[in-house]
Amino acid sequence: MNQLGFPLLSLILWLPAAGALALLFVPRANAGLARQVSLATMIATFLLSLLLPLRFETNPMQMAVVGAPPVMQFVEEVPWLPIVGATYSLGIDGISLWLVMLTTFLGPIVTLSTWDSVHKDVRNFQILLLILQTAMIGVFVAQDLLLFYLFWEFTLIPMTFLIGIWGSQNRIYAARKFFLYTFAGSVLMLLALIALHILHRDAIAAVEPGFRGTFSFSQFVSDLRAGRLTLDTTTERLLFGAFFLAFAVKVPLWPFHTWLPDAHVEAPTAGSVVLAGVLLKLGGYGMIRYNLTLFPAASQWAAPALAVLAVIGIIYGAAVAFAQSDMKKLVAYSSVSHMGFVVLGIFALNAEGISGALLQMVNHGLSTSALFLMVGVLYERRHTRELAEYGGLWKVMPVFAAFSLLVALSSAGLPGLNGFVGEFTIITGAFRSPLLGWIYVAFAVGGVVLAAAYLLKLFRSVFMGDVSQPANATLPDLNRRELTAFALLSIPIVVIGVYPAFFFAGMQHSVAALVADLIAQAAGS
Amino acid sequence: MELLIWLIPLLPFIGFLLNVFVIRREREAGLVASGVVVAAFVVTLIAVAMLAGMPPEERRIVSTAWEWINTGSFRVPFAIMFDPLTAVMALLITGVGALIHIYSIGYMHGDPRVVRYFAYLNLFVTMMLFLVMANNLLLLFLGWEGVGLCSFLLIGFWFERKSAGEAAVKAFIVNRIGDAAFILAMLAVFTYFGTLNFYGDGEGGQIGFLERVSDIAGLRIGPDWQPIFVSTAISFLLLIGATGKSAQFPLFVWLPDAMAGPTPVSALIHAATMVTGGVYLMARTEALFTASFTTQGWVAWIGAVTALLAGTAAMAQWDIKRVLAYSTVSQLGFMVAACGMGAYVAAIFHLLTHGIFKALLFLAAGSVIHGTHDTQDMRRMGGLKDAMPITFRTYVIGALALAGIVPLAGFWSKDEILAHAISHGHTPIFIILFLTSLLTAFYMGRQVALVFFGTQRDPGYHPHESPAIMTVPLIVLAVGAVIGGVINLPVLHWLTDWLEPVLHEKAGEFNIWLALIATIGAVGTGYLGWWVYTTNAARIKIGGKDPAYRYSGDIWEGMEEAWYLDRLYQRTVVAGFEQLANFLARVFDPQGVDGLVMGIGRFFGGLANGVRALQTGYVRTYALVFTVGVLLVLGVMLWFAR
Repeated sequence: MNQLGFPLLSLILWLPAAGALALLFVPRANAGLARQVSLATMIATFLLSLLLPLRFETNPMQMAVVGAPPVMQFVEEVPWLPIVGATYSLGIDGISLWLVMLTTFLGPIVTLSTWDSVHKDVRNFQILLLILQTAMIGVFVAQDLLLFYLFWEFTLIPMTFLIGIWGSQNRIYAARKFFLYTFAGSVLMLLALIALHILHRDAIAAVEPGFRGTFSFSQFVSDLRAGRLTLDTTTERLLFGAFFLAFAVKVPLWPFHTWLPDAHVEAPTAGSVVLAGVLLKLGGYGMIRYNLTLFPAASQWAAPALAVLAVIGIIYGAAVAFAQSDMKKLVAYSSVSHMGFVVLGIFALNAEGISGALLQMVNHGLSTSALFLMVGVLYERRHTRELAEYGGLWKVMPVFAAFSLLVALSSAGLPGLNGFVGEFTIITGAFRSPLLGWIYVAFAVGGVVLAAAYLLKLFRSVFMGDVSQPANATLPDLNRRELTAFALLSIPIVVIGVYPAFFFAGMQHSVAALVADLIAQAAGS
Repeated sequence: MELLIWLIPLLPFIGFLLNVFVIRREREAGLVASGVVVAAFVVTLIAVAMLAGMPPEERRIVSTAWEWINTGSFRVPFAIMFDPLTAVMALLITGVGALIHIYSIGYMHGDPRVVRYFAYLNLFVTMMLFLVMANNLLLLFLGWEGVGLCSFLLIGFWFERKSAGEAAVKAFIVNRIGDAAFILAMLAVFTYFGTLNFYGDGEGGQIGFLERVSDIAGLRIGPDWQPIFVSTAISFLLLIGATGKSAQFPLFVWLPDAMAGPTPVSALIHAATMVTGGVYLMARTEALFTASFTTQGWVAWIGAVTALLAGTAAMAQWDIKRVLAYSTVSQLGFMVAACGMGAYVAAIFHLLTHGIFKALLFLAAGSVIHGTHDTQDMRRMGGLKDAMPITFRTYVIGALALAGIVPLAGFWSKDEILAHAISHGHTPIFIILFLTSLLTAFYMGRQVALVFFGTQRDPGYHPHESPAIMTVPLIVLAVGAVIGGVINLPVLHWLTDWLEPVLHEKAGEFNIWLALIATIGAVGTGYLGWWVYTTNAARIKIGGKDPAYRYSGDIWEGMEEAWYLDRLYQRTVVAGFEQLANFLARVFDPQGVDGLVMGIGRFFGGLANGVRALQTGYVRTYALVFTVGVLLVLGVMLWFAR
């Protein structure tokens, strides 16, 4: 298969970290150089990652083989901690492909946004941003559970500092809340992970004496599917729950969402963009990769209840977003609503739902990042996020208004733009899922109506009406960097809306294989 | 041929792109925007001619551009089609659209954002064409929401005005409520038919759901104690979608406010084309609707009730555009009622003639507004017939057509709906619609009297006739409003025959008695309206009450406020939602959900404080604890290692 002769994934993974290392040699005072090095690293990473979809086999095998582990591509495997069977093992499949691309694509845009928003200790900010980039890519490409867990936890540290050092007034509180809340979630995952390791070791050691255990994801999956490792119902559900909790906090699924508005409000623009753009997706990715794949029976068991939480999140997030007067909070709560769609799609447990959820994660990453950039643009100019302080900017900043409208419509799910395709595919999945059904969807489409309500409220308050505040009358329109960032984001927003089949094609095989196994497990148990 | 039909929506789209990215000058914007729509009209004419050259049963061209969505079993192509029904819609959209584009060159002259205006207008025509040309529900929905977006942009075109911004958002959100039902309908269609395509694309042998509606005959869903037919569920959801877009009861409240947009926009979007989208949808999916007796009853009654409600509201308006807005709602009610009675050809016939004469009325009203320096209150008008002769004459032609005076276009189409109601035994619907048609004549008489007769009540402006670029489209449309009925004259029934392959209807009988009575009624009430408001002209004061208020009192006020439906929504649905959202955001989320989390946090914080007390800083204490700990661990290990 597509072996390239050089470790592509490792390069993509470690390039940002190498950039961070290089930044250590840049003088602290030279902010401009630090930004340029960071931007160059991010661009190089993105360009390198373009090889992934180019060389990706959309259909690595003719048929999905039930019982086989997920087919990974660009695989790398090096022994790491042989004493516990942990390996440095990387690989991607259709489930992680577009999420990796999303991460590398947003990298340069995030760095661009720091030009105007970060003026304090620029070098260290860029270092943290680059480290964060490596950690996030690591979560998506790691195929060893221990490695995955390391990357997973490592995303927390730079993000906490980004909020805690470069945030606004209440930053320490928000950083601490963010860290503790998400960390508390992941500790349970660590326990579950170790439990899985021990259970697996014991089960296999009974057949093959001397087996020292493993953390290899594909090993777990193949042994689970082959019946060499069986979990009794209670254990499976407990393990499922422990993994799920970590992911649910990250997504965030209602009612685990309250860290999100605080973190967003306090975080600098770049932090919010990374947080909304990629970090939340780690949760959704984790649910698909680990919960559904490792614990299919428990997934079936829990799906209706979790879908209820997702639907509550859709409506609740939208209603609360509508009532906000702080723009960042509004966008933050809109994330709760949109990620509710993602969880709903995942637990539809069919091909439409899961591929819709995957696409919607990418969509949400694009449009919500753009929304946060939009708030950032305003904040840089006026240093307030209150809706009431704005109005009539359509006249003052027409180009900015045009992009903002596009982004708001994409987030509101206008057909022809990306958000609609994801949402519609998700609700198709939920509608057809034997576990869920039309009643879930009937509520979920309420979220579609409300999304239009709060996004148009945002747009109207900022851009329509007369220029009531004299300070707004002379605001400059987008500068070249901001224009570049918005223009770059607009490309996938339109392309995914018009030609999503291309993106679906990449994930098709992996999702089909996953669903085939879910069905097989359901039939077997 | 396939390439040719793609040209129809692509031409305005190219105009849109040019206006967004290239053109910066007003003159070029107007010319390019009008040029592409005229070109699209010509291409449509060619396509229609080619379609007419084919045998009737083969008159459908389907063309797939690419696979749009393709995941799991869910496949939707980006495919358009051209058949007789689409053809007449496309002719109306590009024909009337072209005239309105040209008119706009004059009307919008001097506006600082004219380039943007034409970009929106071109995008609207593109989306409207996708709406009527789509070969599947999802692409239709793209056009459906796309025109909604353009409507939002154009209502809010003068966004500096608070009312414009509010009206734009209201229009979009009210439409979204209908759209949510539309989405559910699509899901149901996909679930039961496995495809969203209307018709097969001629390849692969797959046929569309409209060709096999019988698949769901007798299928029921829902709880055991109250199952409903699947066909009823789907068509009812589509009906809700249509009530949003076509401004029917109970979702018509957005349309009168939408008049905040520039008047040519009202003519194009909120009279001739976009608002007829719901009627088109019902005609297109006629097979689903006729499969459900229950839904058809709802459709007919919703149409009739809307027609009457909006007709009464139109009588009591002072704003020249709001009269026409309510009148549009009322006439759309006629079309919807016709659909509900199964008279789809009559509905489309009325849609076409109404598209012409209502566009004419709006454009002429725009000419009045233009010539009176942005006056819209009819109390400040009066006596304009001498200053604006062309506008006056064309307006009267439009008013006569709308009132249904023989032999103008509106007479024939309205008569066909009424005749169908009688001959198919829908007596209550007939009575309501007949009454409404009398009201129509009355308020048009009232409006003509208020605007053009008597003396000018506000001397603060000097009325003048509009330039030729505006009056020529008026004249063209006036000719259309006079002779438009010819397309489906009772003896010729060209339209019925043309649509026969799609709607499978035979021409109805011409009811001479009904035609006579209706005409006499319309002439009578129209004259009455004109007479009341010319003889009482002296009593009309700027900002004052209507002369009829003296006799009807609060009923008149109720009509003026469209029976308070909008206010009811504001006070219940909107206010209720805002209260709930505020409660969730200000109380429940910070204190309930987050309070719980922080409580847990504090619990552990308190625990940690207790533990902290153990940290005395004395090395000997630590040493002791350490020793005990090691002993304990060793003990446990030894215990397990026995």
